[in-house]
Amino acid sequence: MQKLLYDRFSSKMYGVCLRYTDNTEDANDVMQEGFIKVYKSLPKFRGEGSFEGWIRRIFINTSIEHFRKKVKLYNVNEVHENTIEDVALDALDSLATKDILSIINELSPGYKQVFNMHVVEGYSHKEIADMLGITEGTSKSQLARAKGALKKIIESRTGAIKNNDKEEKK
Amino acid sequence: MQNFKNKLYDFEVTPPENIWSNISKDLPGNKIIKITDRKKSKNLYYLAIAAASLVVIFLGSLFFKYNSSSPGDSDTTTTVSTEKMRDSMALNHKILESIIHSPKEKHEIVLNDLQSPGIPKKYITVAGPEGQPVKISPKAATLIIAANNDFPPKPTWSKKVDKWQKIMLSSTISPTFAGIADLVVDASNMEKLQ
Repeated sequence: MQKLLYDRFSSKMYGVCLRYTDNTEDANDVMQEGFIKVYKSLPKFRGEGSFEGWIRRIFINTSIEHFRKKVKLYNVNEVHENTIEDVALDALDSLATKDILSIINELSPGYKQVFNMHVVEGYSHKEIADMLGITEGTSKSQLARAKGALKKIIESRTGAIKNNDKEEKK
Repeated sequence: MQNFKNKLYDFEVTPPENIWSNISKDLPGNKIIKITDRKKSKNLYYLAIAAASLVVIFLGSLFFKYNSSSPGDSDTTTTVSTEKMRDSMALNHKILESIIHSPKEKHEIVLNDLQSPGIPKKYITVAGPEGQPVKISPKAATLIIAANNDFPPKPTWSKKVDKWQKIMLSSTISPTFAGIADLVVDASNMEKLQ
C-alpha cells in the first residue's frame, strides 16, 4: 500500500516540496521525511475532508519544520497587507509555471513560505501565524513585503526583456 | 485573473528515483505480507480457533439471555438490529464492491504493520479506490483475493455465505455488523431483507 500511495501522490507532493524549499537537495529531504510521516500517521486519518488535502498539510508542516531548522522568522513591524496591490501579481498569469517558479524562488525563504501558504494554499493569516509560531501581524507584513519584492523582480525582468528588444532592433 | 495560483497549486514534478528506495529503507517495521502468505501462518490459525471459540461462547450466552426475556422485548430488539444490520450490509457491500472492481492487483493488498509490528491485527488496512486507507477484516481480504473481479465473489463463496446467512437470519440472535454475513450479500438476499 505504501508504494501505491507514493505512486499516486509523489509528483504533486514533490511539487509542493520544490515550492517551499530553496534547492532540490532540501526538497528531496522534505519529500522523504514527509512520506514517512504520512505512513506513520495513516491510522490517524479519520476520513474527514480530502485525503490529498490531508497529505498536503503534512508536507507543508514538514517543509516548515525543515525551514525552522535553518532560519528563524522574527516578528517584524506591521505593514498593511494591501500596501502592494495585487495588480502587480497579475503579470504572473501570462507566464509558464516554470517561469513563475523561478520568480518565486528569488524571494527570501521567509517571504516565499508566507506567500505560498496564503496566496497558493489559501491559509488565513491566523492559520499561518499558528503554524509558523509568529503573530498575525508578522504574517501580513511578510506577505506585503513578499508581494513588493515580487513586483520588483517582475519589473526588473520585464525591463531586461524590453532592453534586449531595443538592442536587437538597433 | 491570477491563474498563477492554480498553476502553482497543481504544479507536479516526478521525483528522482532514489527517493522511494530511501523511503522504503527508512520505514520502521516495513513488512509487506501477501494475503496468500498470511494463510500459511500457524499463529494466525491458532488465533482464529481461539477467536471462534470466544465468539461461540459469546453467542451462546446471548442465546440464553434472549430466550429467557419476554416476547415483546425480543421483537423490538430484532427490529432495531435488522435495521442496523441492513445499513451495515449496504455500506460493506459498497466498500467491498468498489475494492473488488478497482484495477489494482488484488495480491498487492498488504498489511499496514507500521504501528505495532508483530501484533496480530483485527483489521487489515488496504488502499481504497482513491488511494485512501480502508480498514477491512481479514475475512473480507480473503474474499477479495477469491473474488477474481466477480462481484458477488465466486459461486463457492456465495454458497457458503448464503448458507451462513440463512443460519444467522433464522436464528433468534441477529448477527452483529462484525459478522461475515454482513460483509458479502448478494442482491437477492438484500431484496429479501428489504
